[in-house]
Order: sequence, then C-alpha cells, then structure tokens
Amino acid sequence: MTQPERLPVALMVNGETQEVLIEAEATLLSVLREHLQLTGSKRGCNQGVCGACTVLIDGRAGRSCLALAATLAEAEITTIEGIRDDPVGARVIAALVEGAAVQCGFCTPGMVIALTELLRAKDRPDLAEIRDALSGNLCRCTGYQKIVAAALTLASNGHGE
Amino acid sequence: MKLHLPESLDEAVALLQTYEEARCLAGGQTLVAMLNANLLFPDALIGLKRIKSLDGIERKADGAVAIGAMTPHRAIAESSQFGAAQAILGEAARGIAHPPIRNFGTIGGSIAHADPAADLPTALAAAAATVEIYGPKGARTVPVEDFFVSYLTTVLEPGEIVTCIHVPRGPDAARCAYYKLSRIAGDLAILSVAVVVAIQDGICTEARIALGGCGPTPIRLTAADRALVGEPISDRSIARASEALAAECRPFDDFRATARYRLRVMPRIVRRTILSAAGRA
Repeated sequence: MTQPERLPVALMVNGETQEVLIEAEATLLSVLREHLQLTGSKRGCNQGVCGACTVLIDGRAGRSCLALAATLAEAEITTIEGIRDDPVGARVIAALVEGAAVQCGFCTPGMVIALTELLRAKDRPDLAEIRDALSGNLCRCTGYQKIVAAALTLASNGHGE
Repeated sequence: MKLHLPESLDEAVALLQTYEEARCLAGGQTLVAMLNANLLFPDALIGLKRIKSLDGIERKADGAVAIGAMTPHRAIAESSQFGAAQAILGEAARGIAHPPIRNFGTIGGSIAHADPAADLPTALAAAAATVEIYGPKGARTVPVEDFFVSYLTTVLEPGEIVTCIHVPRGPDAARCAYYKLSRIAGDLAILSVAVVVAIQDGICTEARIALGGCGPTPIRLTAADRALVGEPISDRSIARASEALAAECRPFDDFRATARYRLRVMPRIVRRTILSAAGRA
C-alpha cells in the first residue's frame, strides 16, 4: 500500500509558527490534538454541531473540525491554550471560574472562544446577544444557566480595557 | 486526496477538469462534515479561498447587488447594501446555523450543495436572483429557480463553478419576511417560507412567495404570486395562494418531520409569513 501523500504546512498557532507534515484531509482539530498536542479543543461530534472544537481563525470563531489545516497556512489560529494571553479571553476564563460555570468541562473551551469573539466585538452585549453567541455550543451537562450568568456579569461590569 | 488552492478562476476550472471526482471547497461547513462522516470520497479538493474576485457584496448603480460566491453568511447577515426586497437575504442569513458556521459558510457553497432545507436557496428564489457560473465554455447566468434541478443536484456541469449571485433591486415598496420552522434554533428547516410583497395604497402590486423543505428544490409558483396581486392582502387571497402552492408541494418524510406534517403546517406558515411581511412598513 502506498503511503498517503503528506504536505508540509506552516501553521501560526497561538503566536508561534508550527511546521507540520499532514494529509490534505487532516482537519485543524486533528492537527491541533494529534500533531501539536494541544488537546484543549475537544472532538465531540466532528460534524460542526457541538461547538467543543471551536477556535479563533483570524479572529473569528470557527469549527476546527470543519477547517482543513492545509488551507490555513496564512491564518492566525488561537486555541483555548492561547486565549488566556488575550485580555478579553483571560477575563472570560476568570468570569467562568468565578461563576463556577463549569461542570464536566468538555464544552468549556468552545464556550470560552465563543464568548471571547462576542466580547471583543461588543463591550456590553445583552442577554439575547449572549445566548445567540453561545447558540452553537452544546453543554450536555445542561449547565447553560451559569455560563450565561457569568457572561452577563462580565458584560454588565463593562469588561472593556 | 489532493488539495489545490488556485489563485484564479481559470486555474480552478482547469484543475477541476484534471480529476475524475474533484470538488470545490468553499467554506467547508458542509463539505468537510461530509468528508468526516465518510459520505464523500473526492480525489481532489479545489479550494477557492485565494480567488479574491469571489468575495464580497457590491451594490450596482441600478440598485442590484452582486454577491460573490465566497461571501460568508455573516457578511450577508450584517450587510447594509441591501434594498427593501433584497433584505430578505439578510433575514434568512441571520438564521443560518450558528455564529461560527456563519463566519465560514458561504452563499456559493450553500446553493451549490442544493439542500432544499437550506435557507438561502429559498430566500434567493423569492428575491428573483440569478446565478453566475464560470466554466470551460466561459460564463453563463441562470435564474436561481432553474439552477436547482433536484435534491442536492444543480445545473452545474463538470468543471463549472458558481462565481456570483445577482439580486435585482426589486420594487421599492417591497416588504419581506422569512420564516423558518425548525425544532431548535440553528437546525436546518422543517420547512421555510420567503415572501417579498409590494404594497401601494393598500393594494398588493407584486408578490413572490417561495417555499423551502416542501420538495426536492425551492418551490415558487407564478399562480400563487398572482393570487395576492391586485387587491389588499386578505385571508381569501392568502388562502388562494396557499392552495396553489399545496398542489406543487412534494415534501419528503425525514427525521425532522413527516411529509404529511409539512403539508398540514405549510398553509399556516405561509399565512403567518405573508401577514408578517405585509405588516412591516
């Protein structure tokens, strides 16, 4: 059997350039987890539905399971491991910790990324905007209330820099 | 599987013809999910992201808008370029899936996939859009209703790419509404209704109604549109439009709903959407 062809790709992940040798069909999620050992982004459905793999791609929240890594050579990728270095991301994490807005934790990385995108764009989002921003992130512990409450506290305090 | 990221349309068209089973990769929000689920085995993907001419919304002097095929749903949802009739696209785009999917999913990808439960095909049918296609024989343009042939099937020939969606200005007195019936927010539609009506001095002067999820392609019917025109919007005119549409519906049974349920609920959603559009100033 012939080896599948691998492409050399340089990815910019959390501010560092990472050289990887990957197959064309490799998703960003699989490269993050299996090549770069960044296992904070979770593989839930691998279909773009659950949101546990959400990362920032050029500042936009996106499904890493639906992005082919080999198409992202010019992109800036921020994962949950890197989001703490972002001032807004750090505040989101602190608010979730403060509000005990974590149960099993599997959905939390995606929730943090989704809230970071929202709060970077909007200083004081309202409840409807917070719910919309989190609408693509499933929590199978059904622990939404505390997550939304933590985000609302952050928003009403004016998290801005 | 090979991956190419051409920088020009001609290069992309040439690459598509090089392979037996090549697919264009737009935002990947459906295609990569299908690859992950082992539903599709292309021998090559031709990524379109580096072809800069495919991205963006442009308003022309005559009020028409040209939406590049690689324009993401988010840009359509947030655009201020649309006139009164074209605004139906923004309303439909705001209800597609979730914010991260809207960040990357594209209008060209959505229509080329041709899922009758998707939002933009139905909204585009109500907006009288046309689809610009580029391929080995050059460019051609087809009305959006002729673009969809059947379930997941379009008029695209091998080597052809959707490049742009043109949406005419439509009547200035237009009011529009898009209603998506789904069990949970962000799901594909059980069925959807798109309505553009023009009302002057209380009289409906133009109407375009389109249904999604009621057959293998979006349904639009001149007879249903005509049923609304020439008089004030009323229960009677709405009932006539619904009856005409019902005769054309060929819904499926699927895991979202039965065909019978869709047929029963359709007239109610049509009524609600027409009244919602008409009620908007």
